[in-house]
Amino acid sequence: MSALNRLLDEFASRGATSDRGRQEAAQTLRARGLPERREENWRYANLRAIDNVATFLPPVSGTAQGSGSPPPHLALPPPLPGFERLVLVDGVLRADSAPSHPALVRMAKAARAPASASTDFAIDNRLGLIATLFAPSPLTLRVTAALNLEILVLSTLPDSANYLHLTVQIAPGVSCQLVERHLGGSGAHGLGCSHVELDLAADASLIHHRLFAGSQPLQFDTLEARVAQQARYQLHYIAVGSDTSRSTACVRLEGRGAALDWRALGVAHAKQVNDTMLTVRHEGRDTRSVQTFRGIAGDQARVACNAITRVSDSGAGSNVTQSLRGLIDGKGAEVDLRPQLIIDTDDVQARHGATTGQLDENLMFYLQARGLDVPEARALLKWAFLGEVFTSIAPSALRRAAELAAAARLADAPAAELLHATESVP
Amino acid sequence: MSVPLLQIEGLRVSVAGTPVLHGLSLTVQAGEVHAIMGPNGSGKSTLAHVLAGRPGYTVTAGTARFDGVDLLGMAPEERARAGLFLGFQYPVEIAGVNNAYLLKAALNARRRHRGETDIDAFDFLAAVKAQMRTMQMDETLLSRGVNEGFSGGEKKRNEILQMLVLEPRLALLDETDSGLDIDALKVVGRGINSLRSKDRAVILVTHYQRLLDHVVPDQVHVLARGRIVRSGDRALAVELERRGYDWLAESPSAA
Repeated sequence: MSALNRLLDEFASRGATSDRGRQEAAQTLRARGLPERREENWRYANLRAIDNVATFLPPVSGTAQGSGSPPPHLALPPPLPGFERLVLVDGVLRADSAPSHPALVRMAKAARAPASASTDFAIDNRLGLIATLFAPSPLTLRVTAALNLEILVLSTLPDSANYLHLTVQIAPGVSCQLVERHLGGSGAHGLGCSHVELDLAADASLIHHRLFAGSQPLQFDTLEARVAQQARYQLHYIAVGSDTSRSTACVRLEGRGAALDWRALGVAHAKQVNDTMLTVRHEGRDTRSVQTFRGIAGDQARVACNAITRVSDSGAGSNVTQSLRGLIDGKGAEVDLRPQLIIDTDDVQARHGATTGQLDENLMFYLQARGLDVPEARALLKWAFLGEVFTSIAPSALRRAAELAAAARLADAPAAELLHATESVP
Repeated sequence: MSVPLLQIEGLRVSVAGTPVLHGLSLTVQAGEVHAIMGPNGSGKSTLAHVLAGRPGYTVTAGTARFDGVDLLGMAPEERARAGLFLGFQYPVEIAGVNNAYLLKAALNARRRHRGETDIDAFDFLAAVKAQMRTMQMDETLLSRGVNEGFSGGEKKRNEILQMLVLEPRLALLDETDSGLDIDALKVVGRGINSLRSKDRAVILVTHYQRLLDHVVPDQVHVLARGRIVRSGDRALAVELERRGYDWLAESPSAA
């Protein structure tokens, strides 16, 4: 049985058919099917892995499995200072974690039909629909005043499916920091699947950190963001440790002066496949985007980044900077970078660069000539390569967690004090 | 007489199959400053890099001993830990790793080689900041990536700062004076002079005599076509400044 038929059968077995949003998602999947490698935007993803998913059904809430509380051996990380926190355990929102912050005015539990159903992203967001089908606790948050919010997505059971379906609407002029941390996950056949939809109203600001640190062997992530006039969206995406990960993001800069700063990092080793796709649409005048990707593929791993930027004819005055860099760190490793600019107007400033290579021998010699041995020099240079993404993570505890997660996946383990190497000197 | 700090005998080196050094010999005693001058392509930088262990150079004959030990059999990092320092003509930029970290890692590598413990963080910062004052460098450069966004002069000062912190026994300074204005040249010269001692030696690789106004060498050597064709004292450098290098090609070797 195909993975599509299996997941639709499992969806039908849940008896959640009265939910309109889920029904629409099922219909869409049935009509369009799952992505296939012959599709251009999916050629680097490891889609065969979806056939190995043990079950698409989330653990049953309220039973010994999926009890909504993490087992003792999976201790939650300390709260980030100054942040409210929501905790989802095996997809279920922990009742005692819901913040009463006045900035959060609404938390809905009904699944929501994907907003992209009528857009061209509807083709690429199909894996996100799996989260729409199965997420036990879909969340819609409306942020009406300044808010720092951390969402922990914890998987406690081996070979289980863990979902996040999150919609965040940020009111005009409101600033928000949102941290997503996807933790836990074990076994060889578990699935992590998230679907995040964001709406930034005019003059709103969102700093969004997303840390996927080996959350599940198979990790699918879909994000859609709409950015209105003069709104600013910073997205920091870090994915390390999953056997197969695919991130599919689409950001629409709809209003005049809307801005995106996207910084992403992918680290893979062994035979892991880490695939990132970003689509940015400059639809408003004078919109700006900075897109930075750094990836390291070790051993026989594959790291890919496909960054598509389209400046429509309404996007005159837009400014695009794209920088994609990959480091090949193994004889069988592969890095595939695809910077793509499609520009439909004349008045645009666009810069893009993509480089793939191995560690620079000149830099290696410089460090050796200062007395550093080869493993230490290699570790230092890899760390420097990734530094541009880490330095943009402001909450220091989160940054440290991200650094540790990445460091654990590098072939040349950096010394503990190397984690300080990008920090300031007092 | 004591063992020379550096003794090179009959050194022949090829790069990608092309011979560059043709039987070069040089002896440097502790406490001495030597200047190696010569026209473009004479092999000056090749000599510095071969001694520091840069890959890509093939030693086809000859020996080089550092404090009595075979230098050519050592990895680059072993040479550095043993006390050999190469000041680069073109220092590289390493974004993402700050200067302080590299300096400390390099210093601790050298200390461990000598059987010492790692330096205390506060002692390290105090020592580095003191040397930065000597080099008239802004302390904020410590937090910047290694040479990242530095001007040419700042990079060269940073090389000398590293040298002062690491306190090598033998410093090979490859065209450290290139790209420096007059004031920076004085500062760099002061830094080099502050390292001079009876236990150390310095080899200055340079095109011009002007650095030697600030760092007076004990010996000056002229390198041409891969071998030393003449040696002398500081007066030789002055003569080279006045006459250029062509006259050496016409006169018999005095090396």
